[in-house]
Amino acid sequence: MVGFPFFHLYRLMNPDSNLLKHDFSPKNTFTVQEDIQINSLLTTEHNLLVGVVGEIYGYDWSVVTSNKDAKVSWKIELPNNRDVFEKAEINCMVIDNKSELLYAGCGDNNVYVINIETAKIVRTLSGHTDYVHSVFNVGNDLASGGEDGVVNIWDLRNKDVTNKIEPYKNDDIARPELGKWIGAVCINDDWLLCGGGPKLSLWHYRSLTPSTIFPIEDQGIHVAEVLDDKVLAGGRAEHFYSMVFNGNVISKIPTSCVTVYTAVHQETPYKALCIAGSSPRIDICSNFNYKDQVLSLL
Amino acid sequence: MVKEAVSGSSRETSIKKRRKNPSTENDSETDVYKKVISFEEKESKRSADTDAKLYCDLCKSIRTALAEIFELKSQKPPDASAKIMEKSMQAASCIVTLKKLNRLEKVRSTSAREALNLEKQKVDSTNLQYQNLMYEAAHLFSEFKKCKQFKSKDEDIELVSIEEFLSEAPEEKTKPFRNLKLEEMDDIQKHELHLARLEWELTQRKKLSELCNTFEDEKKQVAAEIVKSKNRLGGLAPRLAIVLESTKPLQEYLGLPIEKTYAEHKLASLLPNPLYLFYANADAYKKVYDIDLNLEILGDQDEAIQWRQQGAHPVQVDESDPENDQQEVEENVEIKKRRHRKASHIDRQEERKKRLLEAHPLSIQVTVRVKDGPTLKIQFSYRTVLNIITVMSDVVYPSNITGNVAKEVIGGESMLGELFEGDFGIDSPNPSNPYQLKKIDVNSYNSLVSKLGYAYSWAQRVCGLDFLIQQSSKAAAALSSTNVEIVMKVLTKRLKSRTALANQLQQLEQNLIPAAIEVDLPRNSVSSLTKWTSITYQDFCKSPSTTDLVLNELISPSDLFYSATIFRPKTATLNTLVAIKNDYPNQAPIFSLIVKYNGEFHSGNCDEVRDMERAVNVGWDYGANSASWLLSAQLQYLCSYFDVYLETTAPSVFPQNSVFFKNICARNRRRPFKFRKVGSGIFTQF
Repeated sequence: MVGFPFFHLYRLMNPDSNLLKHDFSPKNTFTVQEDIQINSLLTTEHNLLVGVVGEIYGYDWSVVTSNKDAKVSWKIELPNNRDVFEKAEINCMVIDNKSELLYAGCGDNNVYVINIETAKIVRTLSGHTDYVHSVFNVGNDLASGGEDGVVNIWDLRNKDVTNKIEPYKNDDIARPELGKWIGAVCINDDWLLCGGGPKLSLWHYRSLTPSTIFPIEDQGIHVAEVLDDKVLAGGRAEHFYSMVFNGNVISKIPTSCVTVYTAVHQETPYKALCIAGSSPRIDICSNFNYKDQVLSLL
Repeated sequence: MVKEAVSGSSRETSIKKRRKNPSTENDSETDVYKKVISFEEKESKRSADTDAKLYCDLCKSIRTALAEIFELKSQKPPDASAKIMEKSMQAASCIVTLKKLNRLEKVRSTSAREALNLEKQKVDSTNLQYQNLMYEAAHLFSEFKKCKQFKSKDEDIELVSIEEFLSEAPEEKTKPFRNLKLEEMDDIQKHELHLARLEWELTQRKKLSELCNTFEDEKKQVAAEIVKSKNRLGGLAPRLAIVLESTKPLQEYLGLPIEKTYAEHKLASLLPNPLYLFYANADAYKKVYDIDLNLEILGDQDEAIQWRQQGAHPVQVDESDPENDQQEVEENVEIKKRRHRKASHIDRQEERKKRLLEAHPLSIQVTVRVKDGPTLKIQFSYRTVLNIITVMSDVVYPSNITGNVAKEVIGGESMLGELFEGDFGIDSPNPSNPYQLKKIDVNSYNSLVSKLGYAYSWAQRVCGLDFLIQQSSKAAAALSSTNVEIVMKVLTKRLKSRTALANQLQQLEQNLIPAAIEVDLPRNSVSSLTKWTSITYQDFCKSPSTTDLVLNELISPSDLFYSATIFRPKTATLNTLVAIKNDYPNQAPIFSLIVKYNGEFHSGNCDEVRDMERAVNVGWDYGANSASWLLSAQLQYLCSYFDVYLETTAPSVFPQNSVFFKNICARNRRRPFKFRKVGSGIFTQF
C-alpha cells in the first residue's frame, strides 16, 4: 500500500449538503514509500503515525492534509533494522494520551513502548513466540494478541507477562482450519474480547474464563472492540457485526471488502463509523446500523 | 364791325399787293412770294408770347379807340369827325397789326405742325429700327442657345489628366500652358489647352494602335511557332516510345525497375486524393526508413481513367424524395398484389445502396513483413460516396506457426483492432455516414464491416481525412504525413508483438511455458501448466473471479481471452483466465485466478488469491521490448506463486519447495508473493 488518501468526512456525514462526485474523491493523496504495505495507522492531536515495515513515520496533520509530497516530520526505527529480511512490520499502534506512550505491536514478536516526545523506545515487551497482531491498553493494563494464538496481559508496572490466555486451546472456541492466531484483542475493566483464527469470544477479565462465544459467520476476526455495552467485530466476513454481550446480534452491516482490517468510530462532533479492509472502498455508517456511504479510491 | 372787317380786308389786300408787287416788279412773282414767305417765316420766329401780349395790347387799344369813338359820337364834340377819323384810323392800324399777328400765328402753327409731323416720322422710323434690332437680338439669342447646346465629339473622348498631359506631352505643345493655372485661364486659353490635349491624345492613340498592331502580328507569329512545336513534339512521342521499347531488354538485363515504378506512379496519379496522399507519404516513409514494406496499387487502370473522366460528380446520390418512397412503401403494404412495384422498389433500393457503398476502382495494398513472422496485407479502399477509407486485411502465416490459438492472434480482426485506443473500426468515423446509411435502411456501419472492411480512424488519418466535427473533410496533406509515420510504426510494432505473442501461444498450446531469459524468473516450480485454450468474452465474464474486472471495465470484448490450468500434484489446481489487451505488451495481460483446493477461492472471497493476482498482474512496465517474453514470464511467475500459496496455506500437505523466511506476516497474514533474485531466488512479503 503506497497511496495515502484523505477524505473530508464532515461533508459526507452532513445529509443536508448536496454530495458531489468531488466529495467522494480524496482531498489529498501522498506516497509514504514505494511498494510497501502500510500496516498500521494512528492519529494523535497533531500527528499522523504511519507504521510500515521496520519504521514508524510521523507526519504533521497540517502538512499531510494539503501537501502532495508530504515530508516525514520524524521517524522511529525499530531495532534489528539493518537487514531487509529482518525488518519487522508494525502491526498495531495504540497511544496512552496520559503518559504519552506509544505501544506498538510488531512483527519481531515484541511490543515496543515508545515515548512520543523523544521518539525513543523506552521498553520492550517480549513474550510472544510469533508476531504480534494487536495490542490494547487500558490504564496500566495492556493486552496483546499474536500469531502464536496467545493473548498476553501485561501489568505495565511489572516486568513480565502477568497473565495469558490461549483461546485455541478451548475446543469451543478453536477453529483449527483457520489457525490459532489472535487477530484482535480488546479489554476494559471487566471484560476481555479477542478473536482471530479462533472464534470471537468474550472473557471475564478477572477470572479469565470465557463467558460468551459470538455466533457469527466469519473466516477470521481482525477487528474486535467493546464499545459501551456493545461489541463491534469484523474480519473476513460478509458483514460487520454489532452485538450485545450475550451474543445477540444487533446489526449486520454489509461490507465492501473481503476482509475488514480496521474500523474506527467517533461520537463527537457527529457519530460516524468507518470500515476499511482489503478493498479500495471504505464504508461509512452514521448510526452503526447500516451503510450510508461508500468512499472509493478507484 | 363790318367796316372794320372791310377795312381789314382792304388792308390785307394791300399787303398782298405790296407783297405781290415786288415779284411782279422784279419779273418774278415767285421771288416776291418767296421773300414774303421767308420774311413771314422769319417773323414767325419771334416769340409767341410777346405776340400774345402784343395782341392783348392791340385788342385793348382797339377797344379804347372804339370806346373813344363811341364817346365822341355820343358827345358830338366839335371836332368829332376828325377825331373819329383819327381814332378809327388808329383802330384800323391796330386791326392790321392783328391781322399780321394772326397771319404770323397761322404760319407758326403750320410750321409747328410740320415740325410735329417731322418728329413723328422720326419717331416712327426709330421705332421701326428698334423693332428690327429686337428681332435681330432674339434671333441671335436663339442662335447662341443653339451654339451652346452643340455637342462636340471630343467631349466623349477620355483624355489624360492635365497634370499628366503637362508632364508627358512634348515641350512645344505644353509650353503655352506651363505657367498658367487652370483657375486663371480665360476661355480661349482653356480651349487651346483642350485642343492641345486632344491633339496629344490623338498622337498617343495613333502610337498605341500601331503598337497593338505589332503585338498582334507577334502573337500570330508565336501561335504559328507553337503549332509548329506541337507538331514536332507530337511526332516525338511515338519515337520515344520506340526508344523506350527498345531499352526494355536492356532494363531487364540490368534488373532495373524503372518501367515498373513508372507504371506505378502513373497509376498513382489516378488514385483518389486520400489514397494518393497515403501512397505518396507511405512511399516516402518507406524510402527514408528502408523497411520491409511493400506498396502496391490494385485495380484496373482503364476503369480508373474512366472514373476520372466521369469527373467530380459521382457523389450524386439518388436524392429522390424519401417521402415518396415512404408513400410507395405504404402503398405496397396496402396492395400486395402489385408485386412488380415492390420489386422495382427493392431494385432501386439496391441500386442506391450499391451506389452509396461504391468504392474507387483503385485501392492500395500495403504488405508488411516481419522476420520469422507473418506477412500482413492491408488493403485500403476509398468509399467515394461515404467518403471514408475502409481496410481489409489478410495474413499469410509463416510456416512455423501452426497452432489454432496462435493463428487466431495474428490472423483475426484483433491484429489491426485497437491499434490506437478505442479504434475498432466498426463505426464509421464520418459523422454524416449514419444518415446516408439510414437512407438505404442500414442501421449502422457495423453490419457492413464484413462486406466493406473496417473503417479504422487511423486509416482515415493516414489518408488525410479528418472527421472532427468542425473541420471539413478535405484531405489535408499535413495531417496525412504526420500520421503515416506514426501509423506505420505502430503497425510494425503491433505486427512484431503479435508475432512474439503468437510464438509464445504456439508453445503454450503444447503446455510448455516458453523460457524467458530476459528477466529474473523463479525456476523449479512444482506446479505446471496443463492446459491452454482460447475462450470467448462471455466465458470470461461468467467466471466469478472476473466480476470486478468487468465492472471496472478493465477488459473489453475486443481483447483476447484464454483459459489456463496450472496443476500441482496431487490435488491443487489453479484455473486462470487471461485477458490479453490489444496493445500487448504495453498493457500486460490480465490474469484472473481461481484456486481449487479445499474449496474455490478467488479475489472476491480470498485476500491471498487477491494478493497473488496483484503480484502477477502489476509491475510489468517493460514496454514494447517485452513482447517476446511478457506472457511467458507472467505464467512462470504464476506457477511459482501458486507453489508459494499452497506451501504457506497447507505446509503439511505441500512440502516446501520455494525459499521463504516467513510464511505469513502482518495483520493481513500476507503471503510472500515477492520474488527476489537472491541466490536461486527467494520469496518475501515486502
